[in-house]
Amino acid sequence: MEPTSPTQDQAKAGDQAFATTGRSRRGEPWVWLTAAGLAIGVTMALGLLLLIVIKGGASFWPRKIDLMEVKRGGETLMIAGYPVQESERRDVEGVMHEEVQVFRGNKDLNGESFIYLDRQEIVKTTRPDSLMLVERMEYGPAIIEPVALQTPEGRIEVKDADFEGKLDALIERSAEVREELLTIERKKIGAISRELKALEKAERTGVVKEEVANARRADLQGSFEKLQAEATEIRAKLAESVLLGMTADGREFSCPAGNLLAVFEPNRAGFFGRLGEMARRVGNFLKEDPREANTEGGVFPAIFGTVVMTLAMSLFVTPFGVIAAIYLREYAKQGLLVRIVRICVNNLAGVPSIVFGVFGLAFFVYYVGGGIDRMFFADDLPTPTYGTPGILWAALTLSLLTLPVVIVATEEALSAVPRGVREAALACGASKWQTIQRVVLPASLPGILTGVILAMARGAGEVAPLMLVGVVKLAPSLPIDDVAPFVHPERQFMHLGFHIYDLGFQSPDAEAAKPVVYATALLLILVVVTLNLAAILLRNRLKKRFAVSSF
Amino acid sequence: MNSAGPPNSPDPKRFQVSKATLWFDRLMGVGIRFGGIGVILAVFGIFFFIGREVLPLFGSAEVERAGDVSAETRPAVLGIDEWGELPFFYDGTDRVVFVPVAGGERVEIPLTGLEGAEVTAVSYDAVHRRVALGLSDGRVGSFVVEYERNYEEGSNEELIPKLVEEPWFPVTTGEGPVTQVSYGDSGGARVIAVKRGEGEVSKAAILRLGMKKSLIGKGKLSLTGETDVTGELGAEAKILRASANGEMVLIAKSNGEVAYFLADSDGVSKRQTFMPFDGAVPVQLDFLFGGVSIILTGPGGAQEQWSLFRLDEKAERLFGETKVFPALGEGPVTFAASQRNRTFLTGAGKNLSLRHSTSGVVRWEGEADFVPAAVVIDGKGRHFLAASAEGEAKRFAIDDHHPEAGWNAFFGKVWYEGGPEPVYQWQSTGGTDDFEPKLSLMPLIFGSLKGTLYAMMFSVPIALLAALFSAAFLPPDVKRVLKPTMEIMSSLPSVVLGFLAGLWLAPILESRVPSVLMMILALPTTALVVGYGWARLPIALRNRLGGGREWMLVVPFLVVAGMIGWALGPVIESWFFIYQDPATGKQIADFKMWWPQATGSSFEQRNSMVLGFMMGFAVIPVIFTIAEDALSNVPKSLTAAASALGATRWQVVWTVMLPVASSGIFSALMIGFGRAVGETMIMVMATGNTPVTEWNLFNGMRTLSANIAVELPEAPVGSTHYRTLFLGAVVLFAMTFVMNTIAELLRQRLREKNKLV
Repeated sequence: MEPTSPTQDQAKAGDQAFATTGRSRRGEPWVWLTAAGLAIGVTMALGLLLLIVIKGGASFWPRKIDLMEVKRGGETLMIAGYPVQESERRDVEGVMHEEVQVFRGNKDLNGESFIYLDRQEIVKTTRPDSLMLVERMEYGPAIIEPVALQTPEGRIEVKDADFEGKLDALIERSAEVREELLTIERKKIGAISRELKALEKAERTGVVKEEVANARRADLQGSFEKLQAEATEIRAKLAESVLLGMTADGREFSCPAGNLLAVFEPNRAGFFGRLGEMARRVGNFLKEDPREANTEGGVFPAIFGTVVMTLAMSLFVTPFGVIAAIYLREYAKQGLLVRIVRICVNNLAGVPSIVFGVFGLAFFVYYVGGGIDRMFFADDLPTPTYGTPGILWAALTLSLLTLPVVIVATEEALSAVPRGVREAALACGASKWQTIQRVVLPASLPGILTGVILAMARGAGEVAPLMLVGVVKLAPSLPIDDVAPFVHPERQFMHLGFHIYDLGFQSPDAEAAKPVVYATALLLILVVVTLNLAAILLRNRLKKRFAVSSF
Repeated sequence: MNSAGPPNSPDPKRFQVSKATLWFDRLMGVGIRFGGIGVILAVFGIFFFIGREVLPLFGSAEVERAGDVSAETRPAVLGIDEWGELPFFYDGTDRVVFVPVAGGERVEIPLTGLEGAEVTAVSYDAVHRRVALGLSDGRVGSFVVEYERNYEEGSNEELIPKLVEEPWFPVTTGEGPVTQVSYGDSGGARVIAVKRGEGEVSKAAILRLGMKKSLIGKGKLSLTGETDVTGELGAEAKILRASANGEMVLIAKSNGEVAYFLADSDGVSKRQTFMPFDGAVPVQLDFLFGGVSIILTGPGGAQEQWSLFRLDEKAERLFGETKVFPALGEGPVTFAASQRNRTFLTGAGKNLSLRHSTSGVVRWEGEADFVPAAVVIDGKGRHFLAASAEGEAKRFAIDDHHPEAGWNAFFGKVWYEGGPEPVYQWQSTGGTDDFEPKLSLMPLIFGSLKGTLYAMMFSVPIALLAALFSAAFLPPDVKRVLKPTMEIMSSLPSVVLGFLAGLWLAPILESRVPSVLMMILALPTTALVVGYGWARLPIALRNRLGGGREWMLVVPFLVVAGMIGWALGPVIESWFFIYQDPATGKQIADFKMWWPQATGSSFEQRNSMVLGFMMGFAVIPVIFTIAEDALSNVPKSLTAAASALGATRWQVVWTVMLPVASSGIFSALMIGFGRAVGETMIMVMATGNTPVTEWNLFNGMRTLSANIAVELPEAPVGSTHYRTLFLGAVVLFAMTFVMNTIAELLRQRLREKNKLV
């Protein structure tokens, strides 16, 4: 059915007949206009992907640090940092200036991580090897010249041979201790506060007597204080070792080991050293929790939330979509009514996603969730348990949104199974269901799978409805964890798409958030494009398999 | 195996289907039918559910009798607590009577400050629950009724009333008893409007009160000035009303005019005189909640609303007629304003009606058993009380959750308070309690259409041109790769597109508008010129190079043209788009500053141009895929016949493929429209979200979808705002569903048409 170009046929008919008439010239400019249309379309698609890949990749690449001598208003400033963006700016006089946005870190000292420099102000640029990029728990990265390491055992100068080794060991140990602290604060203290809550509820409902509750409460208070003391002690120990340094403008810098995450000397490192650093950053981005109002650290909770939500969604949408499609294609009488239903299902795919979000909020969250609360969690009211946005409702809302995708794909796959195959099965004495179960469904499985994958791709990239039914900028805990009952469908969750929106448009420090936003965008695009490619490949294989079918 | 049977006649059981199979088959049949129909019904249930949330918006108020009380005293003033439980009656003597609606002891609290004088004028300010009194000896003063709930155990949580009497002030203007009094109170500055005497000799005065600051405790209330306004009025004052903000006094005069006085710390000045009923004297004049509008009733029951507004930005705020309500009919007029919203209760004779000033509609109409002498609405707006002259009172429960909603409020022009004319406006929340919500969906619908239009203007040409080339000229093996590439573009999450539009593209394009314009000009021109030159090449060469590779050959030319266009931008800017600084007269070539100066409309960084470009990524693939399908499915017999008759390849496309596939292309456009209208994240992130109503390419908009996404998480469940956002979703759904259905029908017709050929 593929139309071949008429030009090729004509060419075979003989070039010479038309060569002199000039007739063949007619309309050629318009052909080229259409060619330009296609070229622009394809360039746009590829260009955008390329842009995100480059910008996203660049956000991980460790840049070399410049030491710049800047003359500004009669003063000479020393600034260490790397340029992130160049732009043109018109001043009040109407004169254009070339402006460079330089990342210089040290937010605690400078107030802001970025500085805008006029290109002409920069007098001299050097790249001293000794400059060090320090990643910290707070205030974002710092750019310093390391001086010494202050430890309880003594002071180690940067010239000392074992400086580097000691520093690495310190970083490693502080990571371990932080882990320990986290266990105490999140797990142990968390367990205590959970028990306190349960106790309060039990007391309110009269299950536990007041005296018993008070005794237990005192007990818990005691162990809480003990844990807190333990945590304080660990913290104090962490603060004993300090990394000392100098900033480019000669101010003193110190970072206690507890704050120290990683150090890197980009100017000293070679290409592979920097590649290694990039790999480390990518790894951290994927597996760490966000810090500093999400502008630093990783996006692990968002990845986890996106994956769990998408899987839950496909769990809901697959059976229902397939059953509805089997009904429409195999069981329903093919008449006007089914035709209307089919048109409507097709149209549902075009209904704006926000409409589904609105429905999800009213029906799932307030109606169903509110009902569950009234029936099973009446003790906790007015604090809602299920009557508030959560991951379960988000998954259900998105499964409604993607239902038409699955229904349409499954129907198409079912109708692509040749009639002869069905008749053969029936002729062998199979019942209708046996035919469907053993012949039709296996044959259409790749098509159904394509539909499910497409639905997952659509669901993973959708943000607007989630803003209404369960996504948050920072979820305190994951929807699946090690606290009984392990799966918490009522919890709110983080999502890669919403992370982009929130960081880019709601963040207090949008400039500092940009690298994370680009990296997150790259990650999301990778997920969605991979899913789509899988679906396309699967569909192509399917097409070949049933190439003879009449549809 | 049955070995006993004869070999040539098989056991009939062999052909019997096992019971279990049949049973299972039937079970699955029923199950799938049930499940399938269930899923389909559930999906359509969505829209019934959304509809159910929207419907209450269009209902009217319901009013029910809810108890009655008898105070057996003339209600010169009828007041009530916030919850409508314990009304009080004051008949102008030295006691106030409280009668609980639920039954129980009536409470009488005496007034102490009258000192033997007779009360000759009373008025009631429901906002502060203040009864203002004018006495026969020329003094004016007031008391405030306060309620406190008794939360002590065993007390049934009943209300305990209390009277707080405030100081008296002697009026020096005029002589004789005070015949009318009205008290305006904003806490600090207060104003009392007083009339003394009757007829020709009567005098009117405005007293200003202030709180003297004191170091300990509350300040002391004292008189700061008294102004005789009789001379300025020029006629006898009939109705005096002081506003609840303690600044304005309105006086209706015997010649039918109404005078508006403004009192501030410097004194009292007359601002305006207007005549609402052509010389007829108003019989009722009262402020509405918020103190910006008044309701006036004329002798025949004609009712109007007048509001304060500025005709233009420099003018003073004056009263003007904004709405006319249905006439009340004959009989004494009653009036009470709600303290919650702009609802008011009014009536003439036995009739009563609840009206809402924003939408200008009658919410409810009914009749009382008697002619009410006084009516009052409780603080929560849940009940009203109507009392007869004999002190019989009936309580009514009001069930009116969405008085400000209605067809006209959503889709019509509404004259809001403070505005010089009726407008379409969306402003759902405000900073103060007396904020008047503006819920017109029109600016949002306009925004959606504007965003869609600019998106379509950019994407339709590219998508259709690409589809034409792909369907008519592209070799099949290339098409197998290119089509999925375009499809992947449609799966790019819109949040990524929106973020790129807002944070990456918008800052770049902000200073390069002329460059963009030049590129838009340069690219198609280049393609046409290259095509023209190409046609001049020998046909042998053309066949070897071309034949479906034109889209790659044109790329270098486009790149060069684009770069030249981009670079030419600043040159063009310096020629044509010159901004002249009005202060210094200095000329600066800057489009961003030139545009507002030349056209009077604004220039924003996040504007429709940025939006149109980014929406292209969402819309182009949709249109491209469907249009390409339609063009590819044009029967080969038709195109081949055209070629055989000697048509050039463009003639085949233009005269055969396009007309045959036109309905499919049209359906592609409609589906593209549907996708653009409903797009949310790009709209939220790239448009600035201001509900403007102008077609300006260089500012933003607020679309229905973005509005829902931004406002719904904050809207209280079940409120008018919440339901209005649902109505927005319904509108959005209706727009896309209608478009998609038409498109789908067109496509099916096309499929059948192609089958016949």
